[in-house]
Amino acid sequence: MQTRSFTTAAPPLLRRAAWALMPLAWVLGATAAAAQDWPDRPLTLANGRVTVGGDATLTAGTEDPGYFNFTDYGRSALRLVRFDAVGSLRLTEQVSCLAELRAEGDSGEGHWTAGAYAAYVRVKPWTDRAFEVQAGRIPPAFGGFSTRSYGSANLLIGYPLAYQYLTSLRADAVPRTADDLIDMRGRGWYAHYPIGAEYWDRGVPLVSVFRYDTGVLAKIGLPGDRAEIAASLTAGTLSNPGLGDGNGSPQVAVRVAARPSPGLQVGVSGASGAFVEERVRDVLPGDAAGRQYRQRAFGADAEVSHGYWLVRTELVSTDWRLPALGTPLLTRPLRATSWLAEGRYKLAPGLYAAARYDRMFFNRVPGTAGPISWDASLWRVEAGGGYSVRRNVMLKASYQYNRRDGGLVAVAHLAAAQVALWF
Amino acid sequence: MVLIRAGITLALVAAAARVPASSQREPLSTVRGRVDILRSVPAAEHRPSAADPVGAVEPDLLNRRRAVVYFEAAPRGAFEDRESARVSLDQRRETFVPHVLAITAGTTVDFPNHDRTYHNVFSLSKAKRFDLGRYAAGTSKSVRFDRPGIVRVFCDIHSHMNASILVFGHRFFAVTDDQGRYEIDRVPPGGYLLSAWFEGAVREQRPLTVTSDPHAIDLDFTVR
Repeated sequence: MQTRSFTTAAPPLLRRAAWALMPLAWVLGATAAAAQDWPDRPLTLANGRVTVGGDATLTAGTEDPGYFNFTDYGRSALRLVRFDAVGSLRLTEQVSCLAELRAEGDSGEGHWTAGAYAAYVRVKPWTDRAFEVQAGRIPPAFGGFSTRSYGSANLLIGYPLAYQYLTSLRADAVPRTADDLIDMRGRGWYAHYPIGAEYWDRGVPLVSVFRYDTGVLAKIGLPGDRAEIAASLTAGTLSNPGLGDGNGSPQVAVRVAARPSPGLQVGVSGASGAFVEERVRDVLPGDAAGRQYRQRAFGADAEVSHGYWLVRTELVSTDWRLPALGTPLLTRPLRATSWLAEGRYKLAPGLYAAARYDRMFFNRVPGTAGPISWDASLWRVEAGGGYSVRRNVMLKASYQYNRRDGGLVAVAHLAAAQVALWF
Repeated sequence: MVLIRAGITLALVAAAARVPASSQREPLSTVRGRVDILRSVPAAEHRPSAADPVGAVEPDLLNRRRAVVYFEAAPRGAFEDRESARVSLDQRRETFVPHVLAITAGTTVDFPNHDRTYHNVFSLSKAKRFDLGRYAAGTSKSVRFDRPGIVRVFCDIHSHMNASILVFGHRFFAVTDDQGRYEIDRVPPGGYLLSAWFEGAVREQRPLTVTSDPHAIDLDFTVR
């Protein structure tokens, strides 16, 4: 059996103190460097053909023993250090290339990774029409949160549950019975099933924003910038985007966003794609091997703003169909629904307060001991605020209350501070 | 560059030391000339975003080629003829127009929104911190600038939008026109130091002596 190490030991006190002081050091450095004109706009090279922007966030927070904030790379979003560089190369008026390089690690444990997060060609056949095609490693055509940059547009430090919280499902391993699935309730950070990959690994979120998918996306804007339609064909699914087509069938996703008035934006999204990987299907018995097990998702989001107020809400509901192999059978699709509402109010120039209510719940499956939700439902309240030291340097702090009806830790009070810089 | 940047803040406060007093009886001259901008003018650019790439910003290079020529120290008495004024800094096609505004302290600036989308004008500059919140097309909000200094203005929604407001304690300044020309009139006799400011920094400084014989003085600057 293959196992993957997962460091949970607390770091030495000195190291923790050093990490906690890093945001302060960074701010002091930023202030000192202000006189030397840190860039607060993207860098342009080669007569404007190349544009480079950057985004860095340094977050220090309390430990999260319940894994409420863990991302699909095994790090807590409340202890994440992330550096992004986004470059755009304009080859012609119609064709440009866009790439995002990202390095990220856990501010307490390390676990550094780096690589190309996005890399695609962008073609605008008509320069005077709002139509374009993107091909390569592309962003999802789904949801409202996925279209915003994390450092500058995320009101708080934590991510919305739908885009970050790890359910117990995996694409490379499946349960034989409903009881196998129930045994993993609240263990999305480290799950194991008898069919498929033998090692323990992380589950998937409803929609992953930590990896981009591979495929083609077409986007068209309606006159007056009142609405936009995006449709994509990708190799992976919302939960499990990837480089290769490991599930044997592409995913189709569509998003329609409209701006009925300047202060109102609404969007609806839908997606459907094969979720369970082919290597798992290959080992399934009988008829089960020939079927496709899909993830279907629906999303709706809205943003209202006026004056010093900004309010957003977003609903994501998705279901996964898994093979029904042994009793008690998993005959119905597994559904997960997430809903959030968040708001921001600007208290003074550069200073705001924000809060988010977020909950996620799951449908019931017939276990031997009776029906029970297939994963542990949870809800989260996060409150905090931000202060802009400079236009592009922001300090954030937030407190989180998490509650879950299962798992090793049912309740968690968490706090974090963040420095975010962009140009 | 750091010293020059620090110097401009003091200059905008405009200490009147060493400069002769002006009076209405004194002969007054005009200082005029051109500011030739030889360096490339940074175009407004969207922040590149992989998640939601957007198109190019509409070019506004002419709007961005404005420089400001001003007296580092103004004649004594120049601070006495302040008058409340009202000017406008428009938001059109996701651009602030004009890109550079020079005003005297006490001036009120209107920020009308002529776009279809919301804008949110704000500044975190020491000379004036303000945030007008989000407001729609056809409406306007205003800010009074009482303290000399440089105020960098941005839009909280459209990160590529930016402008500069130079607030002076005197009236001896001018913003260049489309051809790069400037003119500062009613200058009393005396010795002065003129600065040419462009895109966030003083690029060139030149001394000037105005005699008691009223005339027009040509003084050109080059921004490299």
